[in-house]
Amino acid sequence: MMERRPRLEGKVAIVTGAGSSGPGIGNGKATAVLFAREGAKVLLVDAAEERAIETQAMINEEGGEASVFQADVTNSGHCRLMVEAAVERYGRLDILDNNVGISRRGTVVEVDEEDWDQVMTVNVKSVVLCSRYAIPKMIDGGGGSIINISSIAALRAHSSTPYSTSKAAVIGLTMSMAADHGRDNIRVNCIAPGLVYTPMVAPRMDDTLRDRRKTASPLDTEGEAWDIGHAAVYLASDEARWVSGIVLPVDAGLLTLSPVTYDSMSQQTRY
Amino acid sequence: MRLEGKVALISGGARGMGAAEAHLFAREGASVVIADVLEDEGRQVEAQISEAGGQAIFLRLDVTSEPDWIQAVAAAVSRFGKLDILVNNAGVGGGGRTVEETTEEGWDSVMDVNAKGVFLGTKAAIPEMRRAGGGSIINISSIYGLVGSGGASAYHASKGAVRLLTKSTAIQYAGEGIRANSVHPGFIETPMTAAIRADPDRNQRLLSGTPVGRLGVPEDVAYGVLFLASDESSFMTGSELVIDGGWTAH
Repeated sequence: MMERRPRLEGKVAIVTGAGSSGPGIGNGKATAVLFAREGAKVLLVDAAEERAIETQAMINEEGGEASVFQADVTNSGHCRLMVEAAVERYGRLDILDNNVGISRRGTVVEVDEEDWDQVMTVNVKSVVLCSRYAIPKMIDGGGGSIINISSIAALRAHSSTPYSTSKAAVIGLTMSMAADHGRDNIRVNCIAPGLVYTPMVAPRMDDTLRDRRKTASPLDTEGEAWDIGHAAVYLASDEARWVSGIVLPVDAGLLTLSPVTYDSMSQQTRY
Repeated sequence: MRLEGKVALISGGARGMGAAEAHLFAREGASVVIADVLEDEGRQVEAQISEAGGQAIFLRLDVTSEPDWIQAVAAAVSRFGKLDILVNNAGVGGGGRTVEETTEEGWDSVMDVNAKGVFLGTKAAIPEMRRAGGGSIINISSIYGLVGSGGASAYHASKGAVRLLTKSTAIQYAGEGIRANSVHPGFIETPMTAAIRADPDRNQRLLSGTPVGRLGVPEDVAYGVLFLASDESSFMTGSELVIDGGWTAH
């Protein structure tokens, strides 16, 4: 049989939000670990350095290559330095995983203007800023792959209006960037995670709620950050070299359900 | 290997995207059943995979025939012991352009292969997947199952049917660990698109509408199908994977 080569061999990746906000594995951490496992050199970016260091330790333990860069991705200067650091340390830039995101709830009547601005800045503007500096370096290397993280909340009402709006903006941004930079051989796609159990949502969860989220989906399984990471590896790799401008749901089938089916399913404890 | 120990049946596996999927699946450790009406080409793919050290058999399958499907699934199980993956890849183009230009026979022949073929394949495979404790069904729809165009009425209808049949299948069998997802290729360099590509004007229009700047090759689709077939996508069902070089992004 043919020997299988690592799927991201020779590539350099930036993962923003590469640390986890609590114990366990978040999307950024899982993605960074899987990127490294498939042969990529990974720049681990996080506003909280110690969180990224934890991810680095996990990667180094497995024999992978990664280093930490502390940055606030809503700060244009930080984004520029982040991209420069990747190129200085590893010689090129092929992959950008725009994973940083925060959640804010509330209707338009309830939400504070500052909260609204903050969620749009962190979830949308950061993608613009990181990509603005990454794209020219990707062009220098002959192309690249940008992965944005949207959410199923962008496609269905989710009683978190600011978050949903920001994640819908990520879809529009993804499609526009895909069209704008396709001729530079830069692919831009987004993943729409479903109800994944990660350190970001853990503080709001108890066992009852976790079980309800699980049973609401057709597959009746709880999503993990690894599920998102595997999808990111595919989109980052040359296997997906003709895939651009798409929304990839990783949601155990939630989006296939009509509201009525969803409601009856979430009432069931088991199939 | 990403499909180690798995058994896959690929309809329309003799050429184009189906053949690329068969080669890739075998390389990733799956035992592959290549099922097609094209016997010579199917046996060629079988031989190539065996030469490379992979496991494959060819079976004659007309996807519009329920007895053929029952036989094909039974043969897969008797040869390799079970069935984990079904790729409903067989499809035909044609059938006419606008609604007025489409004949009833043209409509029926496209719907028979592209829509009924997926239904029959799914129906035949589910009991074996249930016995195996789960499985992954990948249905090949098209970007023409997502958006309209100036013609190809029957083709659009058939590929739209595949998209929703996939979602229904996903919901019905998710509780048994059987996943179903659809793949939506754009314009791929296969025998089906040969006529369009041979016309310089139409080829140029395809290229200028594709942000990535080139048409797809069968491997582009095969890697997406591989991801959906593997346990890497175990949290995905009812999803649509678009592989179109950015065509539908604008």
